[in-house]
Amino acid sequence: MTKVTELTDDGLLGRMMAGDQEAFALLYRRRQPAIYRFALHMSGSAAAAEDVTQEVFMALIRGAKRFDPARGTLSAFLFGVARNHLRKRWEQERRFAPLAEDADERGDIAPGGPGASGVALRGRVGTDELSRLETVSQVRRAIGTLPENYREVVVLCDLAELSYEEAASALGAPIGTVRSRLHRARAMLLEKLRGTHAPGRRASMANR
Amino acid sequence: MNEQGSNPPYDRAANGETVMDCTQFRDIVHDLGRQGSEADALREKALAHAASCPGCAQLLRETELLEDALHALAVEAGRLAAPDRVETALVAEFRRRKAALARHRTWRRVAVMGIAAAVLLGLGLSMSRWSARWPTTREVTLQPPSPSPSLAPSETAAPGETAVAADASDFVLLPYGADSEAAGEGTVVRVLLSRASLASLGVSLTGLGNQESVLADLVLSEDGTPQAIRLVSEETAAQEF
Repeated sequence: MTKVTELTDDGLLGRMMAGDQEAFALLYRRRQPAIYRFALHMSGSAAAAEDVTQEVFMALIRGAKRFDPARGTLSAFLFGVARNHLRKRWEQERRFAPLAEDADERGDIAPGGPGASGVALRGRVGTDELSRLETVSQVRRAIGTLPENYREVVVLCDLAELSYEEAASALGAPIGTVRSRLHRARAMLLEKLRGTHAPGRRASMANR
Repeated sequence: MNEQGSNPPYDRAANGETVMDCTQFRDIVHDLGRQGSEADALREKALAHAASCPGCAQLLRETELLEDALHALAVEAGRLAAPDRVETALVAEFRRRKAALARHRTWRRVAVMGIAAAVLLGLGLSMSRWSARWPTTREVTLQPPSPSPSLAPSETAAPGETAVAADASDFVLLPYGADSEAAGEGTVVRVLLSRASLASLGVSLTGLGNQESVLADLVLSEDGTPQAIRLVSEETAAQEF
């Protein structure tokens, strides 16, 4: 008999639907980090990411039958559900803007992000590493400023490392649309990064 | 000339092979770092183009830098996950829902069984009423075979035949159904008998006139042999309905 840990997502889902709690827990542990990170990158808020992750798996408990394997992987389905929840939240909380000083306490992605907290790091890392961290921090900030449609393809394709097919399934869009949005989003990121670099830094960014 | 370099579209190299232009390069530059994409086949041409075009070489370096930063960001975020309390809450919800579903299933089973019992009861009552209208087994009063059997009392039946009155309320034993005890406890069936069938039962046809068939109640013994007969007039049959 196949061990639960060896089962595919679909196998675990089948067991979960039959009432197997262990299968559900395993499926959750397998898929939640990616969903949490997606929600975190999209919202910039750890609290929102936590809520969205909970809502996504709550939706799976309540309506697992909505998942159709013919339309894509379970992972893509969960990303799609997360995306819908994020959109709902944005519609409901348009007026909500988190206070910057509370961000660190909540574990949100601060503008500098983890690993880029300035002075303390300067003593520990070399110039190249500092420069790399600075670039990573700038990229994170730039992603946060992208329009939603472009941000989600960058998060799915570049950060969650989904294939175009999986991202298309999660977004409910054709593969060509995903590809062209990603190209456009990356072009926008490059523009933003060029803008944040001083004229003399542009060459150094490109020459590393 | 386009904005990124000097190669016109569909330029050709000295050996006649098509070479990539800046527009084509910009179209695939973000796919170059993605394994399994369509750009795989064009990578060589793209790199050759970048080697000869400073603008596209710059774009390629910037794209690679961006990809490095994105990868670093993905690795950095790779250790992030939802706090344990989310799993605790979800597992509790899963357990609660499972219990609720089990209760729901039990109630549904009880409801289905109740409905089935009601249907069976209804069917039983209907059958009982139907049986009252169409008696299948009942005590019958038997008359001995007439010495001058015929369908009408005034008619004379041939020897070996049984005379049965057209409106008789009692059953008359058939010549071959000598077992009067079995006839008294047999099953009663209402049948439409042809002249030939009547004759085969030993009933005289003399009172039948031009009728091709006649409605009759037959008493059948356990082995299905007709033991007694009673003719039923159409009026009587209609009343019973």
